[in-house]
Amino acid sequence: MLVWVLAPALRLHVIKEVFVKTSLLQRVALGALIAALTAPAVAGTQLTGAGSTFVYPFFSKAFYQYSAKNPDVTVNYQSIGSGGGIAQFTQKTVDFGASDVPMSSDELKRAGDPVIQIPDTLGGVAITYNLPGVPNGLRLTRKLVADIFLGNVTNWNDAQISRLNKGVKLPNLPIIAVHRSDGSGTTYIFTDFLSKVSPDWKSKVGTGKSVSWPAASSVGGKGSEGLAGQVANAAGSIGYVELSYALQNHLNTAALQNAAGKFVSCSVGNVAAAAASKPNISATDFSIVNQPGANSYPIAGYSWVMLYQHGSDRAKSKVLHDLFAWLVSQPAQSMAGALDYVPLPSSVQKTAQATLKTMTF
Amino acid sequence: MINKDVWDKNRGGRKTRSAIGVFLTGLCASLAALALLAVLGYVIYQGARAVNPAFLTQLPKPVGETGGGVANGIVGSLITVALATLIATPLGVLTGIFLALFGRGMVAESVRFLSDVLSGIPSIAIGLFAYTLLVAPFKHFSGVSASVAFAVLMLPLIIRTSEEAVRSVPQTIREGALALGMSVYRSTMQVIVPAARPAIITGLLLSIARVAGETAPLLFTAFGSPFWTVNPTQPMAQLPLQIFNYAISPYEDWHRQAWGGAMILILAVLVLNITARFVFAAPKNRQ
Repeated sequence: MLVWVLAPALRLHVIKEVFVKTSLLQRVALGALIAALTAPAVAGTQLTGAGSTFVYPFFSKAFYQYSAKNPDVTVNYQSIGSGGGIAQFTQKTVDFGASDVPMSSDELKRAGDPVIQIPDTLGGVAITYNLPGVPNGLRLTRKLVADIFLGNVTNWNDAQISRLNKGVKLPNLPIIAVHRSDGSGTTYIFTDFLSKVSPDWKSKVGTGKSVSWPAASSVGGKGSEGLAGQVANAAGSIGYVELSYALQNHLNTAALQNAAGKFVSCSVGNVAAAAASKPNISATDFSIVNQPGANSYPIAGYSWVMLYQHGSDRAKSKVLHDLFAWLVSQPAQSMAGALDYVPLPSSVQKTAQATLKTMTF
Repeated sequence: MINKDVWDKNRGGRKTRSAIGVFLTGLCASLAALALLAVLGYVIYQGARAVNPAFLTQLPKPVGETGGGVANGIVGSLITVALATLIATPLGVLTGIFLALFGRGMVAESVRFLSDVLSGIPSIAIGLFAYTLLVAPFKHFSGVSASVAFAVLMLPLIIRTSEEAVRSVPQTIREGALALGMSVYRSTMQVIVPAARPAIITGLLLSIARVAGETAPLLFTAFGSPFWTVNPTQPMAQLPLQIFNYAISPYEDWHRQAWGGAMILILAVLVLNITARFVFAAPKNRQ
């Protein structure tokens, strides 16, 4: 009996409770939703850039730091590859592009408006190998590297290699030459080097982001990861990777004989030395492989940023100018060093600053 | 009448062959299941190290900074997929109803054929289509363009499952509704579609699961972003893009985060699939 009497009142109470509670909850949820949708997610100027995968870690760190100091500027850089970066920059879907190889004269024509290209950081290409019992620092000459990738030298016990490496027991193993299967700035720099040191390579293969690899033992790997994986998996493999990748992953790298006849390891200092030996670089004369100088590491190259010289949005052009003037200055460049990139030598920083000054806004 | 001698003579051979057949199919089935379990197990094993409350609630941080998460990617992906569902659902479900109930002859056959062809087009091509349509003319990337690409990817699946769902409603129910004097419109909307609803929703959830992990169409549409992005007219952060960028980087910490993101993505898709299977599975023999 009692239940029947109480039930309606109880039910009313529950309904009231639920109604009040849900309406409160709904109000809070609705408020949060409206706040989230209407609040400007990013205040001030937002810049977008796209391109090189190689510079992505450096850029993401540098732009993060820049926004911390300049809260009204945020930069969204996405690594879609150097070729993609140039294409999107040409389409003007992004404010700046980044590429491991500067835009060619044909590509510049397609962009229509005048473009300036400045170097943003430096990279070295390390020769890495997988040889049981052989430590870091295997010595190789420039000609030997070319011959290995041409398929002329096919076994690790070749007399030309053992002559350079006295006291190292080289195994009787066939050489597997590993290359990047995807189009890559690293491949461009490496083949640029091979073309400079080997006339044979220049006539048979040439320079490019992807080339047809002549050695019979050639194996491809996608990205630095894929290439390093291939090398790690098969004893007797040799390949080429970016310096920062080799350092981060503690890969064995070869010491190469440079133009001065010295054997130099692939290190931040030796790549910087190669760059410092040629301060007057430009987007049309940018190769720094096989440079003179006792410490110059012979396989190195710049990465580039592309900007429109006379952007249509003046305020944005000013922000872009200030951002990249900072990026090629010493504080930002030493940050690059901390991430195993090679900072631009001060002479090249000056060249880049001078180029940036030609922007109008 | 069976000749008993012949029966006995062949019986052993038949039984053996049958046993071998059953064993082989069973073996293949367990290999297929094993592949899924291996992927799932490995992703969870690797991802569990990265996933913590901070990973789920923070913005990405550059390499070298401790912490950082994929919160903006999760939110961005939810928004683009939700928008895509809003675009594709009415279009797909109505096309499915049309094909099942009214479509005849050449028109229906061409729609069906085109939808099948559409389902075979690589997702990157559809991403480029959305880029040409919505990114290049407006000169900037946007979440909406990714939603349109997703919607195109979802369409064929929704059309096919809705058509099957509506078709599976017994003809007698349709006839009964019409016999009671209902208009074709009312019988479709109030009798047939409600009966087919669980199967239609299952199809929807499966199509969402299908696009949730797509990366290729995002490269040239949503673009990605390191910031909070809730405005679909701007470039938006997306979880699959973050996984991709982290995975191809040289840094151990980013690899860890890529595994964490992959685990979240794979679990979300798994939950969708399980929901589709158990919660919205068509009830047997409605009274």
